[in-house]
Amino acid sequence: MEITEERRNGLVILSVQGRLDASNAGVLESKFLTLIAGGDRRFVLDGARLDYISSAGLRVLLVARKRLGPSDGVIVLCALKEQIKEIFDIAGFSSIFSIYGTQDEALAAQPGQM
Amino acid sequence: MDGQRAIVLTNQFTELERVAHEVEAFGEAHGLGAKSIFNVNLALDEILTNVISYGYPEGGEHVITVRLKLSAAELVIEVEDDGRPFNPLGTAAPDTEQSPDERPIGGLGLHLVRKVMDRLEYRREHGKNIFILTKVMR
Repeated sequence: MEITEERRNGLVILSVQGRLDASNAGVLESKFLTLIAGGDRRFVLDGARLDYISSAGLRVLLVARKRLGPSDGVIVLCALKEQIKEIFDIAGFSSIFSIYGTQDEALAAQPGQM
Repeated sequence: MDGQRAIVLTNQFTELERVAHEVEAFGEAHGLGAKSIFNVNLALDEILTNVISYGYPEGGEHVITVRLKLSAAELVIEVEDDGRPFNPLGTAAPDTEQSPDERPIGGLGLHLVRKVMDRLEYRREHGKNIFILTKVMR
């Protein structure tokens, strides 16, 4: 699993590549919590190269969302592969997190913040 | 289409990826579709993650055995471990309608297992936990 971090329009884009399971979910959790502690509030998780996610990976998103609290913080997802999108649906995560088809759509849907 | 394979692993999360590759190879060799393989891997991962996380509070290295048995009618996956007794069927399903602030963290894994597999059985036998996951072939 590899995480690439990028900033566009005031959002942090995290691209996760490979498998997100119990062996490495802690790495993504630390990444989120460090960024949130540093003041970042708006995130896009790009799943274009994410091959697999288990509940350990889903849990990280819930932990990060809770850490943001009832602030203006937001976590959205984009470019999830079909089978991963289905897992989000089954877990009920599709109603918690907005999911966009592409990264451009995800960015366009967020109000700009320079 | 019939086939069997045993996969032996130790109680470490780093084993999950190797197990997934073995299940994938088994599935592809027997003509299972990508979606079935993905879901079977997810269910197996969740069971193994539970066993590795909670089965061995005293630590140490333990062996977990996974057996895959495929027939024309179904794929049966048996997971056997010598961890402390744990019946996953006794846990409540999460309320997936709850808002993020209300939702408890955890409990999701077994919910996913129940959703992607057709049957989940548990028994304790000779000091071992045995989980049996069944996917009906359609």
